[in-house]
Amino acid sequence: MPDEYESKVGELRARRKKNLAMGGEEKIAKQHERGKLTARERIDLLFDAGTFVELGLLAQNRDGSDTAPADGVVTGHGEVDGRQVWVIAYDFTVMAGSMGAVGEQFKAARVRELALRYRKPIVWLLDSAGARIQEASGSTFAGTGWLFAEQVYMSGVIPQVAAMLGPCAAGTAYIPGLADFVPMVKGTSSMALGGARLVKAATGEDVNDHDMGGSQVHCYESGVGDNEVENDAECIATVRRFLSYLPSSNLEPPPFEDIGDPADRLVAGLEKIVPVNQRAAYDVRKVIKAIFDAESWFEIKPTWAKNIVIGFARAGGHSVGVVANQPMQKGGALDSDSADKAARFIRMCDAFNVALVYLMDVPGFLVGSQVEKEGIIRHGAKMLYATSEATVPKVTVIMRKAYGAGYYVMCGKGYQPDTIVAWPFAEISVMGPEGAVNIIFNKQVEASENPEATRAQLIETIRAQINPYLAAGWAMIDDVIDPAETRRVIVTGIEQARGKKIDRPWRKHGNIPV
Amino acid sequence: MTEVKAELVGSVWKVKTQPGAHVGEEDELLILESMKMEIPVTAPRAGTVREVRVKEGEVVKEGQVLVVLE
Repeated sequence: MPDEYESKVGELRARRKKNLAMGGEEKIAKQHERGKLTARERIDLLFDAGTFVELGLLAQNRDGSDTAPADGVVTGHGEVDGRQVWVIAYDFTVMAGSMGAVGEQFKAARVRELALRYRKPIVWLLDSAGARIQEASGSTFAGTGWLFAEQVYMSGVIPQVAAMLGPCAAGTAYIPGLADFVPMVKGTSSMALGGARLVKAATGEDVNDHDMGGSQVHCYESGVGDNEVENDAECIATVRRFLSYLPSSNLEPPPFEDIGDPADRLVAGLEKIVPVNQRAAYDVRKVIKAIFDAESWFEIKPTWAKNIVIGFARAGGHSVGVVANQPMQKGGALDSDSADKAARFIRMCDAFNVALVYLMDVPGFLVGSQVEKEGIIRHGAKMLYATSEATVPKVTVIMRKAYGAGYYVMCGKGYQPDTIVAWPFAEISVMGPEGAVNIIFNKQVEASENPEATRAQLIETIRAQINPYLAAGWAMIDDVIDPAETRRVIVTGIEQARGKKIDRPWRKHGNIPV
Repeated sequence: MTEVKAELVGSVWKVKTQPGAHVGEEDELLILESMKMEIPVTAPRAGTVREVRVKEGEVVKEGQVLVVLE
């Protein structure tokens, strides 16, 4: 009967309308007052127009009531630059975005299942008070938590992004903890293993969520966050940008995008950026911008462990991961945090078939009692591990200093670079000439009539031996190049190594020092 | 008041400011020498230099206060 037909379809329309309205006008207004967008507005920004396909719109609170539209989480897939991406967007207007039984065990789980099945990236838009405590029922907690195991199974298979757009309290903070990229909105986002009230109860410490886990902590001190952004729109634009450098999964090459910057373009202006005086600092980011495709540089973790610079760029259209020492910070010397930062990035690039470019100017690892207490040996070992393990195309450019173990972790000859070249003023040595004189010639210097003059003379003698021509003469490096040729050398180095395949002895997995 | 601290162990190579000086954000306050590198220490924000707590040649520890701005 037409009437009954119409009323059934009408009910569907009404149910859809109710859940599309999220937590209602008042809650939405409040969300906007906080400077935040709603889950659905965020999804509109994330995906190419009209491509979002929602799954689970009709979900509701597990008690069957209509008190939690979509059970507080919007899920589905859409396209980012024409490629399929899956999304789990917590809706703070519905019960503070808390993770309910339906939303978590069925909706979010469905997205994880299908993203992995189809080998497509997954994006969490996090704005959630955490587990919905009202629904916690005693020791049935025993059956929860497998989402993190699934994230681990996804790791290195599909890119995972956790965009922090609001709170992310308690155990859920492990979602960003395991993700490949974690942008954080300044002021509104936070993450902590225990929210403020729990902390007060557990330890007595009086602290609020923002002070404990805002971007000013995680993007500057802890290194858990990657890039601090000003607002939701910038955050989501950053997610799209991040994904543009990566393939949909580890089975594909990253997208090639030629913007018409010639591969053989000579790099102009390096003489104004890089001082030949090895002691003088400069900003290596200027070097990166000069070398790679115009406007292609996308720095990751720019505000943490700044003595190493990492990020994506394009070289003649090829997506590359750049690892560069930063002489402007701590003289470019490596320490525990910078080694961790580089190691994790190198492994991400290797997992997703992104070529690596090392721009080397490193006076070595920091030495002394402080860094030994931090365990710099095991942290530095992570970078050795990651660089050794990486089988993507690797190009090493020794710009200036290549001292000690710094030379090794920045993909020195022993770490199987596909191309390794040096600039004419490069210095390659077990240590700087000053240190070498102090150790090797200490007695000779002290016994001489004019110790300072003797020391200076010995330093110059050693300096003459550590220029790149001895290494090039032994063919230990492939070439010494005019810095202006660097771009061409990087592009040809990557193209020469395309299709590279390295087989190593079978093992279950290695044992990276953590 | 902002304390500008040493980011790593080193010696003070050059002091480039003095109490009472007005400085802008990113202006060089002093240069440390460590790992055979000259490491500039810059003002985290604009302000007036209240104290310079170190002398040239002095060895400083990580976290030691070098300059106080207000």
